Amino acid sequence: MSRQVELTINGKAVSVPVGTTLWDAAAAIGIDIPVLCHEPRLRPVGVCRLCVVDVGARTLAAACVRPCEEGMEVRTDSEEVEAHRRTLLELLLADQPDESARENTTGDDALYELARRYGIKDIPLPDGAAGHPRGRDDSSPVIAVDHQACILCDRCIRGCDEIQHNNVITRTGKGYETRIAFDLDTAMGESTCVACGECVAVCPTGALTHKAVHGLRLEEET
Amino acid sequence: MKRFKPAAERSEGAVIHTHAVDTLCPYCGVGCAVTYVADADRRRILFARGRDGAANSSRLCVKGRYGFDYASHGQRLTRPLIRRESAYPKGQLTPLEKRPNKPGGPVDYDDLLPHFREASWDEALDLVASRLKAIRDSDGSRALAGLGSAKGSNEEAYLFQKLVRAVFGSNNVDHCTRLCHASSVAALMEGIGSGAVTNIVRDIARADVAFLTGCNPTANHPVAATFMKEAAEAGTQLVVVNSRRPAIADQAALYLPIRPGTDVALHNAMLHVLIRDDLVDHAFIRERTDGFEAVTETVREYPPETAARICDVPAADIERAARMIGEAKAVMFFWGMGISQHTHGTDNARGLISLAMVTGNVGRPGTGLHPLRGQNNVQGASDAGLIPMVYPDYQRVDDPEIQRRFEDAWGVQLSPTPGLTVTEMMNAAKAGELKGMYIMGENPFVSDPDVNKVRQALAKLDFLAVQDIFLTETAEFADVILPASSFMEKDGSYTNTDRRVQLGQPVLALPGEARQDWELICEIGSRMGYPMEYPDVAAVFDEFAAATQSYATLSHAALGDRGRWYPCSDPATSDGDPIVFQDSFPSGRAKLVPARFKPAEEQPDAEYPLILSTGRVLEHWHTGTMTRRSRALDTISPEGLMEMHPVDAGALGMEDGALAQVRSRRGDVRIRVRITDAVLPGTVFIPMHFREACANLLTDPRIDPDGKIPGFKFCAVSVNPANLPESRTA
Repeated sequence: MSRQVELTINGKAVSVPVGTTLWDAAAAIGIDIPVLCHEPRLRPVGVCRLCVVDVGARTLAAACVRPCEEGMEVRTDSEEVEAHRRTLLELLLADQPDESARENTTGDDALYELARRYGIKDIPLPDGAAGHPRGRDDSSPVIAVDHQACILCDRCIRGCDEIQHNNVITRTGKGYETRIAFDLDTAMGESTCVACGECVAVCPTGALTHKAVHGLRLEEET
Repeated sequence: MKRFKPAAERSEGAVIHTHAVDTLCPYCGVGCAVTYVADADRRRILFARGRDGAANSSRLCVKGRYGFDYASHGQRLTRPLIRRESAYPKGQLTPLEKRPNKPGGPVDYDDLLPHFREASWDEALDLVASRLKAIRDSDGSRALAGLGSAKGSNEEAYLFQKLVRAVFGSNNVDHCTRLCHASSVAALMEGIGSGAVTNIVRDIARADVAFLTGCNPTANHPVAATFMKEAAEAGTQLVVVNSRRPAIADQAALYLPIRPGTDVALHNAMLHVLIRDDLVDHAFIRERTDGFEAVTETVREYPPETAARICDVPAADIERAARMIGEAKAVMFFWGMGISQHTHGTDNARGLISLAMVTGNVGRPGTGLHPLRGQNNVQGASDAGLIPMVYPDYQRVDDPEIQRRFEDAWGVQLSPTPGLTVTEMMNAAKAGELKGMYIMGENPFVSDPDVNKVRQALAKLDFLAVQDIFLTETAEFADVILPASSFMEKDGSYTNTDRRVQLGQPVLALPGEARQDWELICEIGSRMGYPMEYPDVAAVFDEFAAATQSYATLSHAALGDRGRWYPCSDPATSDGDPIVFQDSFPSGRAKLVPARFKPAEEQPDAEYPLILSTGRVLEHWHTGTMTRRSRALDTISPEGLMEMHPVDAGALGMEDGALAQVRSRRGDVRIRVRITDAVLPGTVFIPMHFREACANLLTDPRIDPDGKIPGFKFCAVSVNPANLPESRTA
């Protein structure tokens, strides 16, 4: 049996195998840490920083990548942590398109979900998109790409490379021009994409959506 | 300042209420679990979500993710149809060839529908029952036959074979496994007494080496391929053998591009090296196999240099492939129809069985034999007895003890004579010996070899009832067409390539007056005088399971939402067995059967200088009746293309996209050329899905003597530039 470490998260004691991330340890005891760039099927990369938690150190730690340590005292909901997340959300929302193709159709835009949870209404930032349209790619018959809605979380890249092993999606560009790209930056419909749709399945925003449901407002009955 | 618009302020338009149903993908043998989200009145599916199934862990491919809309296509059959008097004598009603002003694609309804009239269910079912009964009474049971489907559920397959055996009175029942893995099953039954896979696909993660031959998993088993690529990235070495380079060769440690039809020589040479260099597992051979001496004797004649000349690959590569297998701790063998669809398909599979056995690679993690199954329920349809020689669970019809058991269970006298296979049925129909057929969910007019012969056979039948969801090429020859249920509308269990038995659930409502397939089978049986009454599909499963050992512990309730592998000692506590035959085989010891290389009979010559192989593409399925009616799949892949090597194309002065005339001794087709070095010089490849460029007009109907499978992967053709007026090429 592997060695265990013991720590507390929001005062709750938890014992997990060495190497377990804070995010997984919290999930195991029912503590939900918000996250955009991570989901359990993917290798965590810690790029969106929404999962930051207070581990008593000088800086906040990204729970999805930070391993648990013996005796750690972790706060996932302190005022500082929440303020941090709120600012991150405002930054991410500042240049989102006016409407989310995901929220408008399947209604499961994770960025919108968090914005609602944090009660965000007015965004006290200039619209980053003004004069910087990041473009769309509608060349695939089944998948719509809206670069303006992309938050560069890399979930589609990992979905394509590490789940489906198709190695089609990558990043290109620098600074604000950074965006996802297909093969050597060809249009998605002309790339080696096999249209498995894994990128749409893992995308948290309106950046990658199923074309077939565009224009339909769907509400799932439970 | 930017304002965030939460959901309450979502854009205009009426809300569509949806409901989500946990079910399975209808396409291939991988058996992916999926959730389809449909509108609340169950008329159409809107989108798909991967579900965490044993075979797919939420992964899907393009067919599962986007290919669902065929089920709500406007061409679904919604009322029973009876052939008009004016449409006799029977013949083909639509041209196969693409015509000016008509796009290619599935059967043109405008051509077909005028020859049929709508009828009530009672009239249609009474007509089917009375005509089949009349043939049985006047010409005997052997004048009737049924073709079932590997797309149907286990329950439908069980009822269908029961109808043919108990009511038609013969064993003339078969299905399309005959055309895909009959030879693999023949070799496996002979070798180890079981036709199913020994280890699940995902066990490849524990293999040191995986031998992938005659398969193209990224196109045909795409989600299984993701696990293969994952294993390769984690260190499993792939040895890939093919005569048309599959994309998975990109991940291979070794790729052998062998000449088509020379697998037996390759396998023998690998066995030669293993035995010569003593890389065999003597304990395993001693304790668990018979026949090693005979194999040793035969493969002595196949040193790598000899095979290298036959297969046209370097002897050093054959040596290396053999050593990789001989030196690894765990080797898994995967194969597809590049192995099985030959007139020596059984010999091909025998060689793979021998390779696994002499190296002791069965019964442990990361080892085993895995013929990759094609249709979503080809394993289950075979298990349920849609095979002319066996009852459910491969119990032989010519064993008097077994016959008595089924006679007691079904309360009728049964025939001890094995029935006709798919290909034999077509010959018998053409010869006038077979007079009546019931075809459920199959389209032999496009899927069988030499379709010109199939056309004559089907036209000659006195009576043909076709049960399907669309008008197919086969339905053109029908006297009665029964509108049935698509996968998306039915309850039932399906057994995937891993032996995983999983439940599908209805997502959509049946269109119009269409009815459940299982009810229609029962109606025909009952109207022919043999009551077939069941309260529901679960009750059918119970009767089927009770007739078998493999499924005996299972029930719909026990399968739950994740299914079980069979055999499963106790579904309450066990997921079933991902690995079987740890200690012994169903036949006790494995029987190793030597095989000698024989060149295919129809070799290229001056008149037909190229070798044609047929197969599939990622976006399409079988004869295209489903996928060509999926908007997404049809948009991505609208046309069949013939792959040709640049050297051959250059010699003919043909450029990429040029129209070619392809001829064989049996027929000819026109098809556009795609130039690629994935195919070997001297070979061409045509996908089977496209009726207007129907590969099976060309293929050779000669069959394997043991598996009775046609050699779809080898025939001789000629290719020439087609000079047609522009309007005909549009």
